[in-house]
Amino acid sequence: MTSEAVVNRSAPSFPGTGALNLQRAFSQVIILLIVLVQVYPLVWILLTALRPAQEFAAGNPFAIPSVITLENFERAFAQGNLGHYLLNSAIVTLAADALIVVLGMMAAYAIQVLGFKYSRLVLGFFIVGIVVPAHVTLVPLFLNYRNLGLLNSYWSIIVPLVGFSLPMAVYLFQSFYSYIPRELYDAATVDGAGPYRTFFSITVPMSVNTVVTVVFVNTIFIWNDFIFANTFVLDKDMKTVPLGLQSYMGAMGSIDWTATFAAVCVTITPLLLALLVLNRAIIYGIQGGATKG
Amino acid sequence: MLSYRSRIAVLVFLTPPLLAYVVAVVLPIFQSLYLSLFEWDGIFDPVFVGLGNYVKMFTADPSFWGSLGRSLVYVAVTLVFQLGVALLIANLLTYATRGREVIKTLVVLPAIVSTVAIALLFRRLYSFDPPGLINQLLDFVGLEVLTRAWLSDLGTVLTAVSVPEGWRFFGIYMLILYGGLLAVPRDLEEAAKLDGATEWQVFRYVRFPYLRPVWITTTIMATTNALRGFDIPYLLTNGGPGESSELLTTYMYKTAFAHTQFGYASALSVAIVVECLIAVGLILFMVRKRGFTV
Repeated sequence: MTSEAVVNRSAPSFPGTGALNLQRAFSQVIILLIVLVQVYPLVWILLTALRPAQEFAAGNPFAIPSVITLENFERAFAQGNLGHYLLNSAIVTLAADALIVVLGMMAAYAIQVLGFKYSRLVLGFFIVGIVVPAHVTLVPLFLNYRNLGLLNSYWSIIVPLVGFSLPMAVYLFQSFYSYIPRELYDAATVDGAGPYRTFFSITVPMSVNTVVTVVFVNTIFIWNDFIFANTFVLDKDMKTVPLGLQSYMGAMGSIDWTATFAAVCVTITPLLLALLVLNRAIIYGIQGGATKG
Repeated sequence: MLSYRSRIAVLVFLTPPLLAYVVAVVLPIFQSLYLSLFEWDGIFDPVFVGLGNYVKMFTADPSFWGSLGRSLVYVAVTLVFQLGVALLIANLLTYATRGREVIKTLVVLPAIVSTVAIALLFRRLYSFDPPGLINQLLDFVGLEVLTRAWLSDLGTVLTAVSVPEGWRFFGIYMLILYGGLLAVPRDLEEAAKLDGATEWQVFRYVRFPYLRPVWITTTIMATTNALRGFDIPYLLTNGGPGESSELLTTYMYKTAFAHTQFGYASALSVAIVVECLIAVGLILFMVRKRGFTV
């Protein structure tokens, strides 16, 4: 917070204040414009979801809905199997998040805390994964799954999501573990704790903040994943939220837009709530991310 | 060094994550490299063609060069938002006196929305009949000459499918750059201003040099992300009309899963990896060449 206060650029102490005020007003208008561009489309989604279908068809997109209705939400759940998609996505997200956190902590613990001869090399091996495009794995994974009979399973989506999230998770945990003072571990060793007890009694409890960051970032990625689900899941009953939403797109012309946007609202809600609750941690996490690295 | 006991512990902790990573990411990369040497429809026996797929790609496939070019346009449009506008707004935000916290949260919001929802949204925004938000807005400000079906007009479709990508992660990059700007020493800027430097000169000679490391990271992140862009073009136009919005990624996906040419698709996916590596190399090269004088 102090760094924020320091850059507060009000009250300049040199001449030319009039021009500066004009500049400041101008820059505030530009910022406001950008905020509108970023937010209005989302507000519009919400307004559409709450608007009676006939009014939307006639519609002025800027108008406030004449009546607020929840009919669109009813239709979204009735037509689209939305509840089922949400359940599938919840299962995939929980499983993948849990695996990413556990595996990420384990790898970082081995690399940073236990340490071994080629630990930097192994770390590098993981980190390279950050820039690998998902496309290069699609054909092989598809063929492997087909051979193993894993197409249309939760695992078919969970495996690549975990694999592609691990590099960043390992990196984040590892850089956090490098700040844990060595003395803490030495003390544990003196007390007779082995590598396993040390992991559970020191490293895991201290990782909570990093776990929150890792889970939030990956939940966005997993909950919204389109490419893996679209490639490996064809069965209607296994569809996750993004695929489910896509099915609303359906045939040209006959789209029930208000119900579709009601469904969109429902699917955004969990992430939106998480963002609002964890707001400060997330915003400052992103803001500080590149400077720390 | 390590005792025997903790050497086992290293294996116990390292093997599961390494295994998951290798199975999901590393092994498939090598499989792709291997598959790219075959011609295979996924049903009959694969035919070994050596580097034939690559030769075909470079010499006999105009679609490859076309989609590569369009991918670069896609990257350029995305970067205008994620680097250009983001840097401008990050700068302006440091001068803002009120509402900074709210603004930071609001601009990040699109990043949590799924690409499918974004594609649905933009399909409506771009719509011509019934007129979508953008055409109505143009109408409203008296620019009805510009109204068009953005997604079927050959001249606009590529830009139209690129803009949503720039839009959705704009906030993230803006925040990262803003964080970088906060690290610029305040007294340095003050000193420059007292010496009569304009705001632009302060930015050019004080702020930007400090921002360089963050700027490089952001450039690499945004560029490689945009090169991998797929969902929104695939969902909005699926490369159409014709090939006018076909990117390397959508072209590869179609080759694999619509035409089931698994061998050639693997070669294309290897090309996508190489393209990302070249981009990172090129950015780092340009950075080094310009040295530390900015």
